[in-house]
Amino acid sequence: MPDLNAIKAEAKRLLAEGVVEVVVAFKPGDTPLHPQPAFFTNVDEVENLVYDGLCQNNLATFLTRLPKTKKVGMLVRGCENRSVNALVVEKQKSRENLYLVGIPCEGIIDWRKIVERAGEAVLAVNENNYVVEIETRDEHFTFSKNELLHDSCLRCVHPTPLSADILIGEALPEGNLAIARKAVEEFEAQTIEDKYAWFQKEAERCIRCYACREACPMCYCTECFVDHIEPRWTESGATPAGMQGWHIVRAFHQTARCTDCGACERACPMDIKMTYLTEKLNHDMINKYNFEAGLDTQTLPPFATVTLDDKNRFMA
Amino acid sequence: MSLKPKIALFQCQWCLYSPTDQEWVDSQLPENIHLIKTPCTGRINPLYVLNAVQGGADGVMISGCLPEQCHFKTGNMAARRQLEEFNDFLDYIGYEKSRMRFVWLDLQDRGIIQKRLAQFEKDLEALGQASNLVTRVKVAEGGQNA
Amino acid sequence: MNLILEKQALPGLLQSWREQYDVYVPQKMERFSHFMPLTEESVLVTGEPHNTRIPPKALFLPMTETLVKFTRFGGYEDAQQNVQPRVVFGIRPCDAQAIQLLDTSFIQEGYTDPLWLERREKTITIGLGCHQPCHNGFCTTVGYGPFNKSDLDALLTDLGDTYLVETLSEAGEACFQDLSPASDDIYEHALEIQQIAHDQMPVAFETENLKEKLEQNFNSKFWEEVSQSCLGCGVCTFLCPTCFCFDIVDETQRKQRVRNWDTCMFRTYSLEASGHNPRPSRVERTRQRLSHKFVYWLDQVNQIGCTGCGRCVRYCPVGIDIRAMLRQAQTLPFEVSHAV
Repeated sequence: MPDLNAIKAEAKRLLAEGVVEVVVAFKPGDTPLHPQPAFFTNVDEVENLVYDGLCQNNLATFLTRLPKTKKVGMLVRGCENRSVNALVVEKQKSRENLYLVGIPCEGIIDWRKIVERAGEAVLAVNENNYVVEIETRDEHFTFSKNELLHDSCLRCVHPTPLSADILIGEALPEGNLAIARKAVEEFEAQTIEDKYAWFQKEAERCIRCYACREACPMCYCTECFVDHIEPRWTESGATPAGMQGWHIVRAFHQTARCTDCGACERACPMDIKMTYLTEKLNHDMINKYNFEAGLDTQTLPPFATVTLDDKNRFMA
Repeated sequence: MSLKPKIALFQCQWCLYSPTDQEWVDSQLPENIHLIKTPCTGRINPLYVLNAVQGGADGVMISGCLPEQCHFKTGNMAARRQLEEFNDFLDYIGYEKSRMRFVWLDLQDRGIIQKRLAQFEKDLEALGQASNLVTRVKVAEGGQNA
Repeated sequence: MNLILEKQALPGLLQSWREQYDVYVPQKMERFSHFMPLTEESVLVTGEPHNTRIPPKALFLPMTETLVKFTRFGGYEDAQQNVQPRVVFGIRPCDAQAIQLLDTSFIQEGYTDPLWLERREKTITIGLGCHQPCHNGFCTTVGYGPFNKSDLDALLTDLGDTYLVETLSEAGEACFQDLSPASDDIYEHALEIQQIAHDQMPVAFETENLKEKLEQNFNSKFWEEVSQSCLGCGVCTFLCPTCFCFDIVDETQRKQRVRNWDTCMFRTYSLEASGHNPRPSRVERTRQRLSHKFVYWLDQVNQIGCTGCGRCVRYCPVGIDIRAMLRQAQTLPFEVSHAV
């Protein structure tokens, strides 16, 4: 775990020296399982800052909600850093107005995995050196952190922020792309009927609350395609056509933009799996165009660039 | 399959405007082919394709100009990148990849699309009717299929 | 009437109801429980110390329902609802209370919703009291409780190997007619369990003067603070048992007019045709959600519009806690009004 005091000191410095107007980070939640994103604007508040494995949101999602010219300091992990970069590529924020405090990420704990193992009455969660101790109303549990990590984090390739202004803690080794690809390959190897059955089962639990959309840093459209009235792109209700349409198009809009942070899946109140969709698209982009979203702040995603090198592909 | 497969044909307007092809479009277009003319393949939003698929299209054909011949310079290239990926993506969740086909036409071509459609139709017949992702309410139940 | 029901006999009893009714019971769906129709293979989930993920309001106000079907020549016909008489078993008291609250909105003289009314009239609700207090729930704080009897036809209390069945209406009595009556001792014992459960629920916030404080601080900075980290999704409202907003949409491709759940947390909810939005940001929308439950319900029916089920606390993706918001609201300044 990175040193919390070092993070606080840095956040205080940023505010005190006027480098930024607001620091986006986390504060303790009212339940131990849910730390809350927080916006610190003065030095005194920063004492309240927390950071642990349960901080499940991708803070970059708040970037497009703050005024464009505001100077923002942000706590970023590997995936968040890439999301920020992708937003800079899409001109949603200029890099000069950002100060990124990088944290090498040891993975985000999926609170559902805690509830599954320890029940809901969790009173305290302590995390130390890849061991998570959980205090519930009646019992005490000890888990290895790997057991509780969110699926996206288990296949994380870039845990260390790539372009943070300051890194707090030691950089972690890069993940293995081949391991990351395994889940997608396994899914792909199924028969077409099985694939559809799985997709159907997952999509049709949807209640269309759009938590996945709101939790995603790349979903910043003022008007989402599902909110259009004329023309109506997908059915509005909780019908198979509407729910499948939503999941297909939401995922597809993330092509070459998704950083596989998994915030969508963690936000879902119905436990719908959806990173298997975006992961497929991510790996296709790597295979076809050797592109990963958010590795830098210049490279345009494949769908925004066309070259005549594509010519040969036409005849396939 | 007793009935002919339903095909949604997304056609760029710039490569099907010879008089013979136009006549075919106007008077000889088979009933099982639903022609959607677009100003350019670059205008084909994946949502259009999804609508066709959900509405019960057994196959989707996308036809446009060859590279370097696009009326809007790069519309076809952008479309190719995006729709090809969309095709792969739909395959990943249950709509066979071979149900979507791309045809790239030279501006000078005449009568090619008909031949390609006939071939596509034959291949689709072998595949059978599409059922995955067909979720729109059927006509008999008060809905409207493609 | 107080009856005694062996736990072993419960599955058989539920199956026997199927002759007359459609029976809905909480069953396992992925990692949570959900009200689903009972079949021969159904596995009942009753031991969990919390309620179903989707509140049972969905049984009365489905996520999407067809109102009207358009026909070919400009005409239309009403959609057939086709609701069979049904029993909903295992509904928690907070959720049952919520349905009573929703009745005040859907069943009003001159404004009765026929679809809601039909489903309500054909439904027998059998409650299951919460002897293990659920985490994050706060039913006693808002004036209800883990054994609240409002709007139930019968209430079950878990006594270990048996249930005490308190029938509260004729329909409820009919469901349990073959059972033997419970002795006074057992009843006393059950009351004790109920009282313990009631006392175990913590007081999450003070409700005194809460309405006035929220009203008087309508333009307070407080709303900005509490809504800062809100994502603007619909989790809290869609999973809320007392949220009932809906949106009527013409699905032209399906030739139907449908109504879908809608929520005040969405931008499009209050967006007007002119483009003006009276609730332009999440600040106003959060204020609306809280004020509706803790001010407007009180104005309209003199009841708090929150039953303390705790779903919004548990599933909020950014950990916003309505209890903490209200605790903070309690620290706001206010003046005692002297209006008569």
